[in-house]
Amino acid sequence: MKNKYAKIAFDGLITNNASFKLVLGTCAALGMSSSAIGGFGMGISVTVVLLLSNVLISMLRKVIPSAVRIPAFVVIIATLVTLLRMALEKYMPDLYDSMGVFLPLIVVNCMILGRAEAFASKQPVLDSAIDGVSTGLGFTVALTLMGVIREFFGSGSFFGIELFDFSIGFFASAPGAFFTYGICIALFLLITDNVEKTARKKRARAFRVSQSAPLPAPEETEKKEAETC
Amino acid sequence: MKAKLKAFFQSNVFRCVTVLLAIVLVSGALLSVCNDLLFVSAEERFARTLAKIYGRQVETTQLSVSAEDAVFAEGTVNAAYLTDDGNYLIQSTGNGGYSGGTVTLWTVFSCEGSKEANDFKWLGIEKVVYESDRKQSYISKIKKKFYTEFTVHNEEILAGGKFTTAAGGDDIYTLSAGASRSSAAIVNGVNTALAYFRAHVLGGEA
Repeated sequence: MKNKYAKIAFDGLITNNASFKLVLGTCAALGMSSSAIGGFGMGISVTVVLLLSNVLISMLRKVIPSAVRIPAFVVIIATLVTLLRMALEKYMPDLYDSMGVFLPLIVVNCMILGRAEAFASKQPVLDSAIDGVSTGLGFTVALTLMGVIREFFGSGSFFGIELFDFSIGFFASAPGAFFTYGICIALFLLITDNVEKTARKKRARAFRVSQSAPLPAPEETEKKEAETC
Repeated sequence: MKAKLKAFFQSNVFRCVTVLLAIVLVSGALLSVCNDLLFVSAEERFARTLAKIYGRQVETTQLSVSAEDAVFAEGTVNAAYLTDDGNYLIQSTGNGGYSGGTVTLWTVFSCEGSKEANDFKWLGIEKVVYESDRKQSYISKIKKKFYTEFTVHNEEILAGGKFTTAAGGDDIYTLSAGASRSSAAIVNGVNTALAYFRAHVLGGEA
């Protein structure tokens, strides 16, 4: 049982990382990653919406008819995003201002609708909640990492703390966002592929060792079978 | 008739419409309640802006800005306030940004004494704070250092000077490389606030 939840969490964070593996939510990833704080804020906002939408949709999965499931999901997601907007405007105005148009755009983030359709509408509530949190956190880590890289080279700072008076303007621009995104995807795939290959080799070696273990003698097997009969 | 009605109420169409309506109504009700609870009033918004500028809450008196007085060659004055510490706070929008866009700023004019006591003295520009922009996609490239640049030339400003993004003239040259059009709009915004302050607060004396 524990393994099942661990697998869902690992899938969301690494194996099916929404940003670097499935290339979902690209608009937000490119637009909000010019600073580490911006990327982190967007990631956490998406995580909150994803968690709540997954839980609600999973709870209502037997009530919502299949024919109207997409409009129903969109209404639920749009309501949650509007609530999030109101809460951020009230309690975190700086983050609200920095997110600008990308905050309402969470409604059309294909990652949220994708998880609702592919997972939450078919799975129990707890599984959907774990999937929402892990997918959201995978997205948050990806955006924050991109934000750190772009902020460091584009503005010479780290989480808003100015480190040096030197910057490469390219990283703060839109082409810089695409470049950073591409490099991050390439590195992520390189690392995960290598880890996967190593794990596969280990499994193959373990299998070969188990195959080469001495088998019991045929006479002994016959004796045992006779005893059983 | 009864059989038809019964068939309709048991149909998938009725179920779809009912479920969608229920979701929409519940969502609407929830949003209405939260909108009341989380509403941010104009006063609260202004208090936040003041806190951003001053780092503390201050009492202000709004000064009336007529439509004719508000428009200048380089921009428009949106609002003016007198704060409890005697400073003047002017919100202005500078034209001439990238792609015909604008930048809106708050300029704090540091003052001493009061006009009523005849000991009023203008000390210079204390702070320039960014508020919002239109079409300025490179605005994030402009660092704090550029905004502080407006506060270190108070001698020239008190002598009647103004800012410019064109090098070589008598005016105070300041420009943020990499976002030159946006910095031109900021300079225009500060010059607009400066022109308004000179004309309507100082009464054209400077």
